[in-house]
Amino acid sequence: MTTVPTSGIDLWADDVLVDSYPKYGALRELGDVVYLAHSKLYAFTGYDVIKDALADPTRFSSAQGIGFNDGVNQALKGTSLASDPPEHTQLRAALSENLTPRALRGLGEQIKANAQALVARLVKQPSFDAIDEIARRFPIGVVADLVGFQGEARANMLRWGQAAMEVIGPMNRRTTENFPIASELYGYCSQITQDALTHGSVGWGVFEAEREGIIPEGSARHIIHQYLGAGLDTTLAAIGNIIALFGRFPEEFAKVREDLSLVPSAFNEVLRYYSPVHVWSRVATQDVKIGDVKIPGGSRIAVILGAGNHDPRHYKNPEVFDVTRNPIDHLSFGYGPHGCAGQGLARMEGAAIIEALATQIKSFRIGDVARVPSNITVSFDTVPVLELEAV
Amino acid sequence: MIKLVLDRPRCEGHGLCVEVAAQLLHIDDEGYAAIDVSEISDAILATAQAAARVCPVAALKLIGEEAT
Repeated sequence: MTTVPTSGIDLWADDVLVDSYPKYGALRELGDVVYLAHSKLYAFTGYDVIKDALADPTRFSSAQGIGFNDGVNQALKGTSLASDPPEHTQLRAALSENLTPRALRGLGEQIKANAQALVARLVKQPSFDAIDEIARRFPIGVVADLVGFQGEARANMLRWGQAAMEVIGPMNRRTTENFPIASELYGYCSQITQDALTHGSVGWGVFEAEREGIIPEGSARHIIHQYLGAGLDTTLAAIGNIIALFGRFPEEFAKVREDLSLVPSAFNEVLRYYSPVHVWSRVATQDVKIGDVKIPGGSRIAVILGAGNHDPRHYKNPEVFDVTRNPIDHLSFGYGPHGCAGQGLARMEGAAIIEALATQIKSFRIGDVARVPSNITVSFDTVPVLELEAV
Repeated sequence: MIKLVLDRPRCEGHGLCVEVAAQLLHIDDEGYAAIDVSEISDAILATAQAAARVCPVAALKLIGEEAT
């Protein structure tokens, strides 16, 4: 048995978060499993190792939380995120019931129309910030309509959703600063009542399901909390990445413009190229051997989704952004029993935006993009769109 | 014979399996995957493996496949 490769890197250092892929590549070259001495974590870096771990809740548990600090792991107790089968199964069903592609069927046309209308307004401007005008605005509208948020909640959604992801990180400054904001969201959701939500919305329906005994008592508020906590900052990152990548690789945007059947493939490639969630966690329930490396039971694991998505053993030339690649098996939604419950909605949103851009814009250039470090969701903070030429 | 099996309660109807293996499965009227061809011959093994691989919630499996 060989010694586990060790690295001194802090995955949450500012300079790593704003330019993570070269560092992930260096970690993966050390091994599929690398011990991170700074954070006392075992990092999983290879595509196969990550996928196998996510498929195996018996050995790699979520029950002790999927975050990197005790506070958040305590707070998540009793949710589908922080449980294993069999407890997980019913919680998951309650969460995903209204998010399956079938349940969302009626929403698809509305989301497409909203995306077309948003882009139609923007193409009249010679320049705008794609993050403010598209990546933030669009998913806020979708999630607010879906859950049926009005008033106070609608105005706070973005800061609440961002804080809910930020506090999943280790106990650094960002986590500390965001706990009070994440608590506001928790407080709001713990008091929310059905009549605060738009009649007939998905959120309203979740309360209806609770009233009818279809889902366990008290779970409606948890579910609303998860829709907001998980559904916003992630999609924001993905949509911002669409415009940043099309701006950086105009020839790839041109391919989608010429062939709209590439829209789903292009969105998969955007998700593979820049994982909105770069790292997530599990705990080894027992001593586990991976290759030559032994991981002691009880170890906390950092599953680096972004590293797996750029594993050259799985994706040829992973640094090439190729809209024809269709990497349908990317890891950005996770995988297995805990795979993203909202991925159907996310696909609808991403495809709607790509299609609206590809049908209404001939070409554009982007100015200097900027990232702001954040613990879990990696997104651009500004993507200036310049010299836009409409169709 | 290798068999393609669906853990129906786990299926959420994302439909990626149908995207890669329309000859083996379809989405039924209730919005979930349904297997049309469960006995997997060598000729369709690669397609069946792709379907199992892309299921995002690991609801689709091949059984009787030799461990690799």
